[in-house]
Amino acid sequence: MACGSTSLWAGETSWFCCGSSWGPCGSTGTGACGTCQSGKNMAAWPNLSAACWSVTNPAACGENMPRRGCGSVVNVKHQCSGATVCVTLADCGPNTQMWCSEQTCCNGACRTHRVLDLTPAAYSAIGSLSSGLLPVYIYE
Amino acid sequence: MSERNGLGRRRLLTSAALGGATIVGASALGGLDADAAFAAPMPSLDPAVSTSVFVDGRVGQIRRGVLDVVEADGTHKLIQLTNATSIWKLETVTAEAVEVGDGLYARGVQMPDGSVAADAVWVNIVNLYVTIRGIERSRLHLSHGRNAMVGNIVEKKTTASFRGGALTSNLSQLRIGHHAQVLGAWRPADDSVDIARISVGH
Repeated sequence: MACGSTSLWAGETSWFCCGSSWGPCGSTGTGACGTCQSGKNMAAWPNLSAACWSVTNPAACGENMPRRGCGSVVNVKHQCSGATVCVTLADCGPNTQMWCSEQTCCNGACRTHRVLDLTPAAYSAIGSLSSGLLPVYIYE
Repeated sequence: MSERNGLGRRRLLTSAALGGATIVGASALGGLDADAAFAAPMPSLDPAVSTSVFVDGRVGQIRRGVLDVVEADGTHKLIQLTNATSIWKLETVTAEAVEVGDGLYARGVQMPDGSVAADAVWVNIVNLYVTIRGIERSRLHLSHGRNAMVGNIVEKKTTASFRGGALTSNLSQLRIGHHAQVLGAWRPADDSVDIARISVGH
């Protein structure tokens, strides 16, 4: 499925592991959709379902992103480098309410609130895993 | 970093892995750290088609700069480390720091022989949502999901961020019950994690 270019949201993205992997990631499951794998270009979205929304509660940070279900495809673009990666939604997250007011900046421009979690494969396509957080634009 | 430099880096990786290049130094590429390596614009990827290769597995063997990595399904991938490969293991390190048994994520270019010339390798890196269950001078007791875990505080390395604030080496605000995210390096020997950064949420 091709990625779109219609603006959907913007904010911070972090990364997380899922599926079979090594170390502490060996005990993580395949996510809310049952398909999540660290080695694939996938992501977690805070409004994957009503149940998901009740946990992540992005509204607490003033973020009211639309619902997008398992299998939805979004294009994630690094705010400054322009690097992009096309990902499939496969899990619920991040827990946005925990990170209200947090911001990540580059070239003097900042994005606030964690609105996306990427798998290591997806995150490493647009940034270094050791950075932990990136400011991104999200398209569909 | 410009797109031209990004593509140049890819060409350099390929030729270095093939043994036909002399690496002249990092300056021509704008640095060999992982952040710089991926700062260059890259083409948009369709979920089904990847122009670069990503490897997730554990190091089974190391021979002459080549890592034999075993993925979760038992597949073996050969990862070539070159002078242009950035390697992270709690900090930027050299290839000698990689050990058999380490876990890793690697990104690179597929070579004609099926191996991968790595652009960046992150060794034992984890980024975990945890709850603080106990605090000692040199370590934190954490829970990750249903599992207990020890997080080692590494002198001059471990930093913290509290509720979106700036990073600090002062960890005195850590409290039992805090929910946090730990970015660090897993230690295969004892299953603990050396903490690079702990970000405490609300």
